[in-house]
Amino acid sequence: MFKNKLTLKLLFFLVLTDFLETFIHLCFKKSTLLEEGVVITSPFELFVFLQNVFSSPFLLIGLVLVVGTFILWSSLLSRVDLSVAVPICSFSYILIPLASIIFLHEKVSFFRWGGVLFILLGVVLVSLSTSEKGRALE
Amino acid sequence: MREKLVFILFLIALTSICDTINQLFLKSAINSLIPPGGNVRAVLRFIIKLIAVPRVWLSFLFSLISLCIWLFVLSQVDLSFAFSADSMHYIFIALASRFILKERVSLKRWMGIVLIVVGIALVSLS
Repeated sequence: MFKNKLTLKLLFFLVLTDFLETFIHLCFKKSTLLEEGVVITSPFELFVFLQNVFSSPFLLIGLVLVVGTFILWSSLLSRVDLSVAVPICSFSYILIPLASIIFLHEKVSFFRWGGVLFILLGVVLVSLSTSEKGRALE
Repeated sequence: MREKLVFILFLIALTSICDTINQLFLKSAINSLIPPGGNVRAVLRFIIKLIAVPRVWLSFLFSLISLCIWLFVLSQVDLSFAFSADSMHYIFIALASRFILKERVSLKRWMGIVLIVVGIALVSLS
């Protein structure tokens, strides 16, 4: 069923995509910090908002990493089953709140961690059933 | 406050829907080509071939729209909230698979989706 055994090297790259994903969203968030709470009522204001955000170096770093992660992820998927790769990569649902606390000084309540846990379990369940579907198609 | 939360959740749903459409176009474009080998170079060559497929540009267009909405969302709320709520794209992908692609969605997957919905509700409450 599995394309390959999950070697240590593959695991390393899967975890690396988690960290890349986290870093990308930190960059995106950083690029909007100057525009925090902006009110947009007209197309012109939307244009100004996008112009400001898109000229931030953080956004450019984020976009370059998106392309890099996409290439890495596509080559990983040809070696690892999706039902293995997605649960490992949903680790970023924990990493992102952690990074938000450390780097953005956000507060994550007990409730929110509970929610994250449910989402994580849900994502794992959803992706585990992809292998079932594959079997049904064979 | 409550109205703002509903509005932000609506925008996050919108980015998720754009992402789902983007995935559908991408998947259909990828399916029209021969799958690449495992190494990075083969994947790069595959991506170059992929760029020539018009549907991929539609997929890019929707990711761009999704990115713009996402950036606006991030300017309004915490990253930890927005990213968790963004997991609702799993719901839209399951619905699209079921009703557009007519795939069978297993019970296990529906259960996973229910858990994600509960998780998003909890994250939004706080």
